[in-house]
Amino acid sequence: MPYTAEAFQNEFLALGATEVNAIITVTSSGAEGGRRTAGATEIIIVDASGSMQAEGRINAARQAAKAAVECIDDGVNFAIIAGVSTAQQLFPAPGQLAVSSPQSRADAIRAIDRLQASGGTAMGAWLLLAAQLFSQRPGDIAHAILLTDGDNGERAGYLETVLDSIAGRFACDCRGVGVNWKVSELRKIAEAMLGTVDIVAQPSGLTASFEQMMVKAMGKTSADVQLKVWTPVNATVRFVKQVEPEVMDLTGKRVADGPRASRYPLGSWGAESRDYHVCVDVAPGAAGDEMLAARVSIVEGDQVHAQALVRAVWTEDSALSTRINRQVAHYTGQAELAEAIQAGIEARKAGDDRTATIKFGRAAQLAHASGNTATEELLATVVDIEDAATGTVRLRRKVEAADEMALDTRSTKTVRVGRQR
Amino acid sequence: MTMTDCASCADERAAGAAFCEACGRALGAPCPNCGIPGGVGEDGYCQNCGMLAGRPRDHIEADCGDIAAAVTDRGRRHHRNEDAMWLAVRDGEVDVVVCDGVSASFDPDVASETAANRAGELLASSPDVSAAISGAKEAVAALVTGGDPRRTASNPACTIVAAAVRGAEINIGWVGDSRAYWLPPDGPAEQLTEDDSWATHAIAMGADPEAAMRDPKAHAITAWLGADAAPVQPRTGAFTVVGAGHLVLCSDGLWNYLTDPAAFGSTIRAHLHAGDTLVDAARSLAEFANAAGGADNITVALIPVSSPVLEETAAAPSPSTVASPDTAAENVVKE
Repeated sequence: MPYTAEAFQNEFLALGATEVNAIITVTSSGAEGGRRTAGATEIIIVDASGSMQAEGRINAARQAAKAAVECIDDGVNFAIIAGVSTAQQLFPAPGQLAVSSPQSRADAIRAIDRLQASGGTAMGAWLLLAAQLFSQRPGDIAHAILLTDGDNGERAGYLETVLDSIAGRFACDCRGVGVNWKVSELRKIAEAMLGTVDIVAQPSGLTASFEQMMVKAMGKTSADVQLKVWTPVNATVRFVKQVEPEVMDLTGKRVADGPRASRYPLGSWGAESRDYHVCVDVAPGAAGDEMLAARVSIVEGDQVHAQALVRAVWTEDSALSTRINRQVAHYTGQAELAEAIQAGIEARKAGDDRTATIKFGRAAQLAHASGNTATEELLATVVDIEDAATGTVRLRRKVEAADEMALDTRSTKTVRVGRQR
Repeated sequence: MTMTDCASCADERAAGAAFCEACGRALGAPCPNCGIPGGVGEDGYCQNCGMLAGRPRDHIEADCGDIAAAVTDRGRRHHRNEDAMWLAVRDGEVDVVVCDGVSASFDPDVASETAANRAGELLASSPDVSAAISGAKEAVAALVTGGDPRRTASNPACTIVAAAVRGAEINIGWVGDSRAYWLPPDGPAEQLTEDDSWATHAIAMGADPEAAMRDPKAHAITAWLGADAAPVQPRTGAFTVVGAGHLVLCSDGLWNYLTDPAAFGSTIRAHLHAGDTLVDAARSLAEFANAAGGADNITVALIPVSSPVLEETAAAPSPSTVASPDTAAENVVKE
């Protein structure tokens, strides 16, 4: 079995306590010797709106799309969408998917040369076309890259409607080039589509970014992995979050599975490891009672790949119940770190410098204490960190838009702690 | 317990499970906690309320007829039994070990089981109790090198009391506060061990015994088996039984409710008389401790020992004792 699941927790609860927390580390060595267990389909969506002419973005986007096409394995289905006020299929013929081969990739690269920037931005329409193309290949490992440089031009609420209708059909990694796009908009897409969001401030960075995303996508070997959480009667799941490699709240993606279980989509998997924080409220037990608070399984369809048990043991011994589990404490801090950064950015935009200073101060403290140096360095571009240990920061007068957007998009990136319970 | 598809709705997801996920019908044994029929799953947890139905070590009985018996029980307040025992009976020989896991360490139940088994194995080939305890110490200390980082971080630890009975010859040894007693046919029981505990040390240094026992630190042990323990010098004793009586080994889950030697003697004797067999008596002693609160895990071993002389002259009215009762304490050799 390529998957393992391990629970890290302090199972001991004080009498009367009802909240059970555990970090579940799920690791896969890649399905069946690293070979795909399903077909794969890749769709590259490139914003071709008029604004892409600026700063040589369209040329950089062409190069990046070509580089991404070169990374597609033989036999993988693919298509390229040019995003303007409508979605136009650039390659292959409209409504078709190409099968990757040296010939089809060369054809695609020639098609990319024809990509011209003119028109508007209609992300809902782009995603809808992608979903239609993906629907030809049910069961495939389905992944899209979406590149944009501006705000969505569709009527308010349309993108949300589209996301509601296509959520879970494919994974979508979103990249914004330049600084004229909205982090919140791309984050909305990434969260709905179990993808990532990041800024590529300089067009010259696009090729590396596209290659990286495509190589990662090619490493996926399973299409639709799910986390199944069984809980006993009178228990409720407070939240299920992915906490590593980045924070992603999965609570709202719950799908009921029988009277006591629910499933949460984890998307596609390759040889990788991710951590999840599961928080369950249970009915309190008596001293000495041991309860199975949750049985967490990694499933694909009806197949159970791995299982971890989250337990609750009630004790009068406060030396046991007050033990802090390092994993739970660490990731609780990492989730708070992401929230503090996003709240700080929002407060700063709203002109509430006091709240912004408090939030960024807390973020600096959390990033420093947890050893998340990447986030700490990003914070330092937005605030002057006077003392990270106490969370003393000063807002910078002048902040580069790209720096703030990078901090925003990467606020959810977490680091791991040593494997010690 | 047979696992099949759910009989009610034939949902195939029920296969291998103890509870049909589709219709909720239970397929296993009834849950002792919530009572739902067939609730207990293969992993021991109720598929309805989630409560653990029981662990194998919650209650174990070792019944060697009229030669020896031992019982270990989880008690009322602890979630698992961290005591462990070993009882082996060969022709005229009895090996017995009682260990009590130190709750402040990680996996103390593994420590106690490891120590009891290792000491027991060693006693089978030699009655050298000191060597058996040293071997047990090494086995417990080796647990931290097993690759589990939690064990490395928090050393599993336990106490030990062991006895090798060879006819009327008894060798005992101990580390920690698990005890051995000699129980004559009447009168107070005689404690053969001296606890490695704060209270015992304080009393030995001249503290008022009652005040010392009331101190919160009273039961803190000063010696144990574990990777973090100081070099262990097991304390041992050797003596020959004259007459007849019972050797009693127990963990503090029992003796805590019987700290007075007279009360210990009369209670054990009452249970020995009330029970048809030795194992009945051991079980009822565990029940006694549970009725008194069951605050800790309970282990008790009962081994009748008599001198061959007494057997030959069964009519002799002389009271049975450990050889020279007045010097019994001296017989406990402190190394």
